[in-house]
Amino acid sequence: MSSSPHGTIGGWSHHHLLGLQGLDAASIRAVLAHASRIPACGPSGASEAPRRDDLRGRTVATLFFEDSTRTRTSFTLAAQRLGAETVDLSGGVTSVNKGETIVDTALTVEAMGVDAMVIRARQSGAAAMAARRVSCPVINAGDGCHEHPTQGLLDILTIAEAHGRAETFDLSGLTIVVVGDVTSSRVARSGIAGLTALGASVVAVGPPGMVVPAHTHLAAPGGPGQVSVRHDLDPVLAQADAVMMLRIQFERHGDAPSAAGARRGAVIPSIREYRHGYAMTAQRADTLRPGAVVLHPGPMNRGLEIDGEVADGSRSVVLRQVSNGVRVRMAVLAMCHAAARSSRPFA
Amino acid sequence: MFTAAGGAISSPCMGSILIVNGRVIDPASGHDAVADVAIEGGVVRAIGAGLSRGPADRVIDAGGMLVAPGLIDPHVHLREPGHEHKETIATGTAAAVAGGFTSVCCMPNTSPAIDTPEMVRFVYDRGERTGRCRVFPVAAATRGRLGEELAEIGLLDSAGAVAYSDDGDCVATAGMMRRVLMAVAATGKAFMQHCQDSTLTRGASMHAGAVSARLGLAGWPRVAEEVVIERDVMLNRGVGCRYHVQHLSSGGSVEIVRRARAGGQLVTAEASPHHLLLTDEACEGYDTSAKVNPPLRERADVEAIRAGVADGTITVLATDHAPHSADEKNLPFEESPMGMVGLETALGLYREALVETGAIDWPRLIALMTIEPARLCGLDRCGMGMIGVDGPGDVTVIDPEASWTVDPGTFAGRSRNTPFSGRRLTGRAVATIVGGRVAWEYTGRG
Repeated sequence: MSSSPHGTIGGWSHHHLLGLQGLDAASIRAVLAHASRIPACGPSGASEAPRRDDLRGRTVATLFFEDSTRTRTSFTLAAQRLGAETVDLSGGVTSVNKGETIVDTALTVEAMGVDAMVIRARQSGAAAMAARRVSCPVINAGDGCHEHPTQGLLDILTIAEAHGRAETFDLSGLTIVVVGDVTSSRVARSGIAGLTALGASVVAVGPPGMVVPAHTHLAAPGGPGQVSVRHDLDPVLAQADAVMMLRIQFERHGDAPSAAGARRGAVIPSIREYRHGYAMTAQRADTLRPGAVVLHPGPMNRGLEIDGEVADGSRSVVLRQVSNGVRVRMAVLAMCHAAARSSRPFA
Repeated sequence: MFTAAGGAISSPCMGSILIVNGRVIDPASGHDAVADVAIEGGVVRAIGAGLSRGPADRVIDAGGMLVAPGLIDPHVHLREPGHEHKETIATGTAAAVAGGFTSVCCMPNTSPAIDTPEMVRFVYDRGERTGRCRVFPVAAATRGRLGEELAEIGLLDSAGAVAYSDDGDCVATAGMMRRVLMAVAATGKAFMQHCQDSTLTRGASMHAGAVSARLGLAGWPRVAEEVVIERDVMLNRGVGCRYHVQHLSSGGSVEIVRRARAGGQLVTAEASPHHLLLTDEACEGYDTSAKVNPPLRERADVEAIRAGVADGTITVLATDHAPHSADEKNLPFEESPMGMVGLETALGLYREALVETGAIDWPRLIALMTIEPARLCGLDRCGMGMIGVDGPGDVTVIDPEASWTVDPGTFAGRSRNTPFSGRRLTGRAVATIVGGRVAWEYTGRG
């Protein structure tokens, strides 16, 4: 345990985790280091889940104003494994559907007495809005097309472990290819910000509109890592140390296109054209160099952006991502809670 | 006579005011010298040195001050009828006079829209009964501002519409736009285009650039504005309508207007305070006070718009005063409405952006806020936008050195949505005289 004299963990001083953009490399390394010391469990790790008591006697609320099962479950398990009680307000039952604002809901939940809240919403900036008003830690579990910082952290942890960088979390020299709908992806924004802050080079690849020149600005300001953008996947696969496949978010792009035809409002003309250019097929996976891994944040559209053969194959670290998600969320909840308590020791 | 078709402030003012020792700047006549101005019965009676103080009911010592024609804002949203929780004609004109404006032209995107002669008369009536300054309606060019059917432009003209615009929305199709240009050309008035190709701005809430990429917000590209100006300039060739570009936001737009004017086309353009000072970085942290249509762009655009003002490409300044309630602006960024209030901060902001930077001097700034918008809206024919003997007693006294801090809590308008809260400004109106009455005076607070 690396608790500092002031009660913070690993020097982490942030009450909230709202995004990886603008977060310094030392803070990112601190949370990854803490997560990496929590034993992994599940098929790839220990059979028994780790138990800690960082949040014993505390309550963590999950406020999911947008559909999610996986992330909510992951946060709930993380909180429970830290000894916390959890309370859930998921989309169908929250008052936001009755016209109450997200901030009102957050204030209401806080007034009932919670020690941290995990917020997902379809509006970019929603978690930050709530964080400005409540005094307990707020963890952003995805805000619109903006950020999903715990997903970014778990992706980075997974990549670092796969390449033996989990001691230093120095990713310099690694090339990470991010494929798909970067424009709509909060997973990509968080991942790219964190990866580049730790020194990795990122190549964003996708069809025009899903990847645009302005995405070079997603790199952490001042580097060290850079982002390049392109619309052709095949030439970059051979340089990739990891490939992060993004889910096509039909819900953000109007109707889903049919297999061969397009519908009005869809960003891509057809699924077959998208697959032709950007799907991680078995054939493409074969062109990856040894040691390169394939990530997907889930839920996967099998047979669309990724073939089942690859998702279940030897290069896939998809389930390791899921398992690392719990470790990362345990680390984040514990560290934010400790930071908040250290600044208000009698609270 | 000078009260246009019912141009507000109807009852004649019998009192007299003498403004002494001020630097009287009247860009229309070129007058720029220390002089006294005598106003009586709502009308300017004399301008000259050493006017007799004897009979004046009120003497204003304007030593060290600028005495300008009453300022005119050709682009404001007074929200009445339909959105009175944001602003009314009473509160909006209170904001106007606090900012030194004696006339405002209000946009037709009310509910219902100002698209009938009856609605035009409603605005004049409310302006006369509740307004603190003169209110002139800009009427919709198409019914309901939907861009589908032509509004009754001939009847709107007779009712006193001072210009036409579907502001808030662009006249989208080339076919309808051509009909609008022809109909408005027949009236001799100006058409004011809100330049936005909405097929390029679907879901967009800020400028398309580095900041929108990071924030995960759909971007609004410059070309959405530029393509409309370029198209309209082409459509207007041979039609000859007085075509006016509202609130330019992009450097490319400035260049299109510059070229069109050089080619002899009847094109004018306006700039707004925020586009002369702020960039998309003001939206960082999802600050909805900086969410505006068209969006704040980049430093190069700000510089290009200032250069456009300096070289005479842009001849009009307009606030696009767009009040919204705090509850509306407290919504998440993408759901929050676009716009910011501008009337009470405009003068100091223009000075900072244009005079302090050396782009233009005070007389030119005053021209851009008086005679130029007066010409745009045909108010010069009633003597507005100038100080002249027998002309309307609309005068703004400006302290060019007054230093003050923007405090939305002291605003006279109903809404507080400004990104300039806390900004230190230099220069402000200290007395606003409308139709020979002191409509507002700076008391030194705020």
